[in-house]
Amino acid sequence: MNTYALMLNHAPDRYEGLSEDDYMEIIKDYIAWTEKMTADGVYVGGEKLDDAPGRVLTRTDGGIEVHETPLAELAEVLGGFMLIKAENYDVAVEIAKTCPHMVHNTGLEVRQIHDVD
Amino acid sequence: MTEPLTNDIIRHQLERLARRERGRLVADLVHRLGAGRLQMAEDVVQDAVVAAMATWPFKGMPDNPAAWLNRVARNKAYDRLRKQGRETALPDFEEAPDQEPSEDDAHGQLFGAQVSDPELKLMFLCCQPAIAEEDQLMLTLKVVSGFTATDIGLAFLKKDAAIGQRLARAKRKLRADEGALTEELSRFEVKKRLPTVLKVIYLMFSLGYAPRRGDALILRDVADEALRLALALAAQAETRTPEVHALVALLAFQASRFDARIDADGRLIILRHQNRSLWDRKLIDLAFGHMKLAQAGDTLTRYHLEAAIAAGHAAAPDFARTDWAQMLRVYRSLETMTGSPVVAINACVAEAQAGQAEAAFLKLEALASNEQLEGFAPFHTARAELLRMLKRPEEAAKSFQAALACDASAPVVAHLQDRLATCV
Repeated sequence: MNTYALMLNHAPDRYEGLSEDDYMEIIKDYIAWTEKMTADGVYVGGEKLDDAPGRVLTRTDGGIEVHETPLAELAEVLGGFMLIKAENYDVAVEIAKTCPHMVHNTGLEVRQIHDVD
Repeated sequence: MTEPLTNDIIRHQLERLARRERGRLVADLVHRLGAGRLQMAEDVVQDAVVAAMATWPFKGMPDNPAAWLNRVARNKAYDRLRKQGRETALPDFEEAPDQEPSEDDAHGQLFGAQVSDPELKLMFLCCQPAIAEEDQLMLTLKVVSGFTATDIGLAFLKKDAAIGQRLARAKRKLRADEGALTEELSRFEVKKRLPTVLKVIYLMFSLGYAPRRGDALILRDVADEALRLALALAAQAETRTPEVHALVALLAFQASRFDARIDADGRLIILRHQNRSLWDRKLIDLAFGHMKLAQAGDTLTRYHLEAAIAAGHAAAPDFARTDWAQMLRVYRSLETMTGSPVVAINACVAEAQAGQAEAAFLKLEALASNEQLEGFAPFHTARAELLRMLKRPEEAAKSFQAALACDASAPVVAHLQDRLATCV
């Protein structure tokens, strides 16, 4: 059994201006999915990244430069990640297809966690 | 592993948190931190709700969502106070219980003139006479009951764009006066604000009894909370007025029919078809008891009249044997007293039941020019039912369609569709 990370990207302005009711409609689907995956023994865990800009570090000849993530210039930002258990990529992809992120957003990336054993 | 929670349960939990728990938490924090920190209390509770919505999709729902929210909001309040160098100002903050208030709390004591039930206290604080009364009502519903501008707009038959602005203005005014807010309201202030507090409780119950949108026919937690608050007022010497008893009677009569008003599939059962043996006898007895207390003195309020109407239903063995002539008399008094178009609609329905459908319909038609009623489903529904009684099914169908075009809860929509189908 391998562990896969679902990297959930969304447009930087995806959740801007939503009413609380609208927002609740969306997240209840996610919570239901997380609950179900947990009950099925598939869900390992996950983290939501804060929506505020992060810091980008760049090494230059003059040393290390630090900038705030230029959110407005990006097509997509990483909103968070979820870890699931699956036999292989095919199974992981089938599970990922059922994630409500594929309904409420346009895409996600599945990456296998590099297990040593 | 336990069964995963279904979508419906999760949505119900989230709505309950956003509405019920939010108000309770704000009230609790204001109670602990002082009236001057209403804004802080609202802010930290809002932050906690946002944090819940951001992280629960990734973490799942905590075992006790209300306790989770409570803990996060308190920690945030604690952080803010510490930043202000006020950590010493937090008496018994940590050992405060997370569980639901006990029965005893429900009848919270008023010490002197001070209201000590946190939610009642917050209501009295929000009902600031310097703010226009309708704005006081909206603000209190928002702060204490956690209703959104959309819900409040539907309750006041107003477009919700304007509501947000009015709420913001009322809030600013309240904040501007916070310096004048003392921890303990004087006996005089309590008395002066009581009628507005009663209106809020009445509105809160109505929003629970018949939500204007959403999937639920009844928001029982909201209605039960309104009844609890009214009972708490009736239990206190300071606030035990005939008007309060009348309100308790009215709410208890209405609440006694909850189980009969909804079938196993969540569908609406109208009064005519309700199984009256499902009416809650305990609540009916409670209501009659408070009606008696309400008759002390010569006060006559709309709550007295509305309770009298509800009592008329409770006393009737079945729908056909309701004393419609008496009902109509009370409705007409109520209409004169309130000038409310909503009451006028109900009066027309009672008149039709009393055997004067033609006259009732003409009176209802006279209300049609009231713009407020244009988007109000019960107006169109009443019109449709009267037209049906008058054997004008095609026009009735049009009115049912007009009702269906208005905001209504899903079970009411289903009911209207059934009624529409009987008109062909």
